[in-house]
Parts: sequence; C-alpha cells; structure tokens
Amino acid sequence: MIDSALAQAAIQLILLGLVSLLIPASYRVIVGPTLPDRLQAVDLITTLLIGIIVMLALVEGTQNFVDMAIALAAFAFIGTISIARYISEGRVF
Amino acid sequence: MLFELMGVAALLFGLFFCAVGVLGVVRMPDSLTRLHASGKVATLGLFGLLLGTALLMPSVWLRLLALGLFVLLTSPVATHAIAASVHRRREIAGELVETDSAAQPADMTGVDVSAVLSRSRIQDIIEAQERARRHKRPDGRPRNDSP
Repeated sequence: MIDSALAQAAIQLILLGLVSLLIPASYRVIVGPTLPDRLQAVDLITTLLIGIIVMLALVEGTQNFVDMAIALAAFAFIGTISIARYISEGRVF
Repeated sequence: MLFELMGVAALLFGLFFCAVGVLGVVRMPDSLTRLHASGKVATLGLFGLLLGTALLMPSVWLRLLALGLFVLLTSPVATHAIAASVHRRREIAGELVETDSAAQPADMTGVDVSAVLSRSRIQDIIEAQERARRHKRPDGRPRNDSP
C-alpha cells in the first residue's frame, strides 16, 4: 500500500480520469462510421482497461492485478488480430 | 518521497497522453489519423502509467516490465492489421467506383463492402480448393484425403 496521502489522492484522481476516458472512447465505438473504426476504438478501450487494472493494482497494493493486465493484453491482441484479418480478408484463417 | 513524487509525475504524464489520444480518436477526421492518435495511448500513455506504478510500488517492476515489453511488441502489429483492413476496404471501394462509373457517389468510404468482399473471397476459396485437389505433393506421394 502507498501510505503517503499525496500519492494516495493522486492515484485516486488518475484512476477517476482514466475511467472517465472510457466514455469518449465508447462514443467512437457506437458512432464510428466503418467497421475498422469500431475495431480500433475497442482496441483503444482495452488499452485503457490495462491502464485501469494497473492503477487498481496500485490502489490495492497487490501483485495479482498486474497478472490480470498481462492476460488481458494477450487476449486483446489475439482478438484484434483475428477481427482485423476477418475484415480485410473475409475469413479468419 | 522522491520516488513518490517521480511516480506521481509519471502517472500524470501517462494520464495526459491517454487523454490526448482519446481526444484524437474522437476528433480526427479520418480512419488512419485516428489510428495514429490511438497509438499514442498504447505507447506513451500506458508506458507513463507503467513507469509511475513501478516507481510507486517497486516490488512488481519485473511484471510491469514484462507487460510493457508485451504491449511494445503487440501494439504495432495490431495497429498494422487494422490499417491493412482500412486499406483493403478503400481498395474495394475504389474498384466499385471504377466499375460503376455511371453513378459515382461523392463519398465511397462509407459504403458497405462486405457483400463484394465475401463474393470475391468465395471465388478465392473455390479456386484454392480446386488447386488443392489437383495438387501433387513435391515428394511424389499421393495426397492423404481420408481424415
């Protein structure tokens, strides 16, 4: 745990900012004119979620959240690659 | 105390670049420029957050380094795949404009190309299957058709 009050308040503030950044990113998912735009916005949201999970690890003071962030990064990479390949090629494999 | 100040500064750096990247994704006019903006979130923004976390909580720095290296490897690949899909859609839209020269809409980027895409892909798959049926293995043995 972080014991200094300044660092604790800054962490809470940054976590709040990151979570509020999800709203404009999901605006691009909903509005985005074409399919690659939506895919790219979903990729952006998963990147923001990785940042949020790392900040949660900082709030809780445990290591396990970082493992979750690594797993999320791996699955997001696979999903983005396969969907982008489906859009451009018409098939996944 | 010094580490905490540096860590908070790095976290603020990361939050700033995350905000700039999301602002760019919302405001930029084009798919490829939006890709450019979202790349900033994946590199500068996330790396600022990871660096700040490593400074504030030094016991997990190895896992954070692994996460950073993984994102550094995979993020350009994902961005390249999305950019290739944007390019492919534009190619198909251009072909549609060339073949249908009588009626040229002003903006072909918003057209739904999935039908054309699947038709050409079905043709490709049929050709590939015929090629595979005729194909002899290079070492002379016959193809094993039974599963």
